[in-house]
Amino acid sequence: MKLLFVYLLLLKATLTSFSGLASLPVIRADFVEHYRLLTDNQLNTAIAASRLGPGPIGLYVVGVGYYAAGLPGACAGWLAMVTPAFLIIPMLRFIGKRAEHPRVKSVIRLMLLASSGLLLYSAVPLARGAVTGPVSLAILTASFLAMAFTKIDSLWIIVGSALAGLLAVAI
Amino acid sequence: MVTVPTLKQLGLTYFRIGNTTFGGGVPTIAVLAREFDRRGWLAPEQFTVAYGLARITPGTNMLAFCAGAAWLMRGLAGAVVALAAVTIPSAILVVWLTRICEASGGNRWAHAAIAGTLAAAVGSMLAAALALARVHLTNRNWLSTALVIAIAFALAQFFNLSPISILGLAGVAGLFWTRL
Repeated sequence: MKLLFVYLLLLKATLTSFSGLASLPVIRADFVEHYRLLTDNQLNTAIAASRLGPGPIGLYVVGVGYYAAGLPGACAGWLAMVTPAFLIIPMLRFIGKRAEHPRVKSVIRLMLLASSGLLLYSAVPLARGAVTGPVSLAILTASFLAMAFTKIDSLWIIVGSALAGLLAVAI
Repeated sequence: MVTVPTLKQLGLTYFRIGNTTFGGGVPTIAVLAREFDRRGWLAPEQFTVAYGLARITPGTNMLAFCAGAAWLMRGLAGAVVALAAVTIPSAILVVWLTRICEASGGNRWAHAAIAGTLAAAVGSMLAAALALARVHLTNRNWLSTALVIAIAFALAQFFNLSPISILGLAGVAGLFWTRL
């Protein structure tokens, strides 16, 4: 019963937020203040751990589930994280049938250009955190050029960047 | 020309990119988009629809994008495979990291490697922005293209408008401005 409860509490948080840490206020109110399933310190650790690893920031709900109910709780957290993603399928089905209409086409085109501007916008704070000196700036520039103008597999570009970071510290 | 990947190819791509890209959802979407484009699995228009709708889907936007893009490529089975491939390994890692974080402060070498991948994540986002801008670029419309991108950027950066409302505004503008 507790597992279902943890899942539903986390699902409530993920369903009412639209990105990353936006679900945090709801989770804190439920898990820390109301039901006291974890402490503030544990919540912070879960967030820090999700930032250390790869994948979306929203992964911290797995850590929250883990603290609340052990490994089964982590599974409940994982399920609460992926459940809302399936909502996109009925939405795509609806739009997909109308994709050839000229107005729909121009709507998509304008949104595509706006997404390009939004990507630049999201890159600004990340760049502030990531560029700490000439080495990281060089890695950023090299990976941009490799991604934009070559067909090199993205994985190798990322692995190469990690190695470059290690090399800089070693030297 | 769009080619259809096998479920195995699809799962492996999601697995590799989803679990090696640091810095959160947007860089992961950027790298995934590049891989789909490089392999000819997803047309730029399909990417935009999946990306735009992912923004307005509740929950983690990146996961909605993964599910949506995979559904366009391989249907419901593709969406399930994609979500599992992207989230299960990193979720296991998060549990493990949560335990480690409690025990220790931080390791210099791990920190250096992560710093390198974070810089690459920013590079990949810039490359993705350029790739999106190039989709409909011709000799005649480069100025209006740059203008739309600049306006979207400025609305987010200087006027604190949320990404969802900016995409919404762009959509409404597209209803009336059909000759870009």
